[in-house]
Amino acid sequence: MNFSKTSIKTVALALVLSAFAATSAEAGPREDIIAKFQAQAEAPANPANGEQMYNATYGTGKPDTPKCTTCHGATPQQGGETRTAKLIDPMAVSKTPDRFTDAKKVDKWFRRNCTGVIGRECTAQEKVDFLTFLAGQ
Amino acid sequence: MSDAPNSDNKPANGTSKRASRMVKVWDIPTRAFHWSLVSMVFIGILTGYIAPEWWMGMHVWAGYITVTLLVFRLVWGVFGSEYARLETFAFGPMHILTHMKEIITLRPVRHYIGHNPSGAAMIFGLLIVLIIITISGLLVLGGEENQGALAGVASYAIGDMAAEVHAFFVFALMAMIVMHVGGVILEGRLTGENLVHSMITGLKKVPQGTPPLAHRRARPLYAALVTGLFFSGAALGLENLAKIPPSGLVQLPANAAYESECGDCHGVFHPSLLPIASWQGMMQSLEDHFGEDASLDDDSVNEITAYLTQFGGENWDTEASNRFAILDPAKPYSIIATPYWVRKHDEIKPEVFKRRGIGVKSNCGACHTDHYSGRFDDQKINIPEEKKK
Repeated sequence: MNFSKTSIKTVALALVLSAFAATSAEAGPREDIIAKFQAQAEAPANPANGEQMYNATYGTGKPDTPKCTTCHGATPQQGGETRTAKLIDPMAVSKTPDRFTDAKKVDKWFRRNCTGVIGRECTAQEKVDFLTFLAGQ
Repeated sequence: MSDAPNSDNKPANGTSKRASRMVKVWDIPTRAFHWSLVSMVFIGILTGYIAPEWWMGMHVWAGYITVTLLVFRLVWGVFGSEYARLETFAFGPMHILTHMKEIITLRPVRHYIGHNPSGAAMIFGLLIVLIIITISGLLVLGGEENQGALAGVASYAIGDMAAEVHAFFVFALMAMIVMHVGGVILEGRLTGENLVHSMITGLKKVPQGTPPLAHRRARPLYAALVTGLFFSGAALGLENLAKIPPSGLVQLPANAAYESECGDCHGVFHPSLLPIASWQGMMQSLEDHFGEDASLDDDSVNEITAYLTQFGGENWDTEASNRFAILDPAKPYSIIATPYWVRKHDEIKPEVFKRRGIGVKSNCGACHTDHYSGRFDDQKINIPEEKKK
């Protein structure tokens, strides 16, 4: 087949544009998820509260998991380990870029881990605080 | 000294001019057979009782070599030289009993150049017991382990039964070995013969007065021909048997939901490792899953439950699926609480489970390198060494 120079240019431009669109779309989901929780929250996100949650010892959930760092790393930049010796990627978005980009997963883990550690579901405010803290790490 | 027992019933009064002398009794193949068999039985017992599971390959090879030796010995029993031939030591029951009585009362009457009747009975007994042990071993290998020539035809239940036969006859074999060695020592004491030495050099001392021996020669060409024919036939049979896929193993399709949802927190367990009812009960109680909240959305629960129902333990006929069908009633969802799991791992020290790369008892794949297939072959066990920091 024979392409003219302009058509090759058009195709190349389309490819570059779609690649660009794909990368910018990847950054989107996390912001959408945070925005959704923010909309339900009473106050603007407070990353400091998120950090305090990450480090707090609750002991009000299941006895084997009194705090986030039972399984997650001592700092968000460190990886963790489940009680079944499975490695967990660092929670910090700078270390694990695809963190909090799947809404279904985010819901699943908030539901499980808030009841497991705190003993109740987390509020939208807590969720947005927590996510903003880790997104900035 | 060596002629003393003989003089009891046949005084050496000089009627014969022939002095006691050394004659060749055991030919080289017979001697080589004997000591090779001794080594294989030794390896078999060692790898069967003492060596760790992952030495099973060596146990199986000892078995295959034993079969080869037995076939050879039976063929050589027809085409070998005089005293290797089975007919030369096939004594009648009365004959054997009389000889045993003589031995027990420490009064042997006759001297035998080849095997004496009690020894001969032992040899036939050992041959029969070894044939039973090797055949039952092959059935265990095919039925329980899903390996070897009978993997495609032997069910787990047959393998399980064969395992009991195998174990029983190995006990019998060990008792017979004790009697065999005891008999050799006793016979040596009574006649002054060193039978162990004879089985090395092939030479035996015949008493004074023994007439010249009719010594038929071996026919190695015939022996090789018959042995060759047997093994060609066996190879042909094995080739066809090898084409049959191992029984009791199902083609397991991957399931993304199962692998990602369950595999997020722990190594993915093969669905054959628990009965269907256990999987279903577990999927209904994910809010308290071994002390953690592992709840899932309904769609995922339904999909994974369907997958585990379709491929749960009852659909398999493997060692693992059969063994783990028996649960700890107090912990019906726990594989590592099943009596079989506990029994098979009780010699592994707690610190081994804490090693890097293992971490917990439920991390099957850390040591069972073929866990994803549900086979759990003994030879595929590889316990990670403690890593130096």
